[in-house]
Amino acid sequence: MPKSSNDEQNRPATREELEARVASLTKKLHELEVRFSQVDRERIEYLQNVAHQLVAPLNAIKWHIENLTNARMSLERSKKVLRSVYSQATIAVHLAKNFALMSNLEADHSLAQLQEPVESVDLYRLLVNLADDFQPLGWDKQVHISVDESLKKAPPVLAIKNLIAQVFSNIIENAVKYSAKETTVRISSELESGAVRVLVRSRGIRLRAEDRARVFDRGFRSPDARNSHPAGTGFGLYIARKIVEIHDGEIMAYTDPQDCTVFEVLLDT
Amino acid sequence: MGNEKTVLLIDDEPAFLEPLVDALSFHGVRVLTARTGEEGLEILTKETVNLVSVDVMMDPGESLRGKTSSQHAGLFVCKEIRRMFPGMAVFCISVINDRELIREIQKCGARFLRKGETPLRTVLQMMRASLTGVAYSTDEHDLEF
Repeated sequence: MPKSSNDEQNRPATREELEARVASLTKKLHELEVRFSQVDRERIEYLQNVAHQLVAPLNAIKWHIENLTNARMSLERSKKVLRSVYSQATIAVHLAKNFALMSNLEADHSLAQLQEPVESVDLYRLLVNLADDFQPLGWDKQVHISVDESLKKAPPVLAIKNLIAQVFSNIIENAVKYSAKETTVRISSELESGAVRVLVRSRGIRLRAEDRARVFDRGFRSPDARNSHPAGTGFGLYIARKIVEIHDGEIMAYTDPQDCTVFEVLLDT
Repeated sequence: MGNEKTVLLIDDEPAFLEPLVDALSFHGVRVLTARTGEEGLEILTKETVNLVSVDVMMDPGESLRGKTSSQHAGLFVCKEIRRMFPGMAVFCISVINDRELIREIQKCGARFLRKGETPLRTVLQMMRASLTGVAYSTDEHDLEF
């Protein structure tokens, strides 16, 4: 009786075939392990980076407090030190908020805050509060933050307030951090049909044309940014982009011919 | 004062630089500061300095950018100090965790301290010990250089 193809399939695998299959599966398993450990390494690096950045301002605060208890600290000087302490605390809070958002983004690509309601957000009030919050970061370099009158006329946008606040926190913090000495970060707005465009302009590190899109990538930091500020997670603008996308808005960045670096966010009213 | 000591701090983070400047000044130390490795090495060639404190992650400065990265600028500076000013007391105060890098820095003869984690008072005591040979003291008024 001739062997049917069925028999061919049903016959027990030879030892060689089994060994080949085991070898192939072992190889696949090994590749998966390598990929997994790579992802794991990135996650650990990210966590270490964040932990570092969170600890740094708190440690700076501790050093300042040690000095504040010294009788040789003048009243004048202690006022300045307290401003610095305030500024470090602002950075710590800002980073902690980003970290919470990032954990959500990494865990399930959604944001827990999405369960918060969408509401009418008064951009003028929001941005004035943020300007006040981040002004201490600029004191050393004498960088000021100004909010334009145009924002008073801007209609409220429909957004999840906490998330939108973090978008502008990240953009403003970034702008102050990379501003040149004695410059001003200018926040203004333009009305479009059914939307508001917020513009944050600063003078300092230029954004190269090839980095315009990459600046919003996860973990990306431009060589110029790394040189001038070695510490940084490269997550702030990534988080900003993610949040703007959730709101069906637009975000972009460029350096204009007048050497102003501009971040634009378009949000529906 | 004839025996006034001078300490040079090379660090680009005002958050840590300022409290260290304050603390050293309170204890009668003359403090010089540099924001980049390049600036720090330049000051060393011009001024009489008794002790240098170097950060690790910082801007190396225009002329050194081709020779080192901002991640390792401190190690480069430590090596240069050792080459140009052997015998100089060098402290390295940084937030880095990289054991390999820390070992390399220590191999240059620099004393490594964790920025912020080490209490300011301890930093001062160790610098004083290195400069004057007076070992630890718990008396605040004894913390003179």
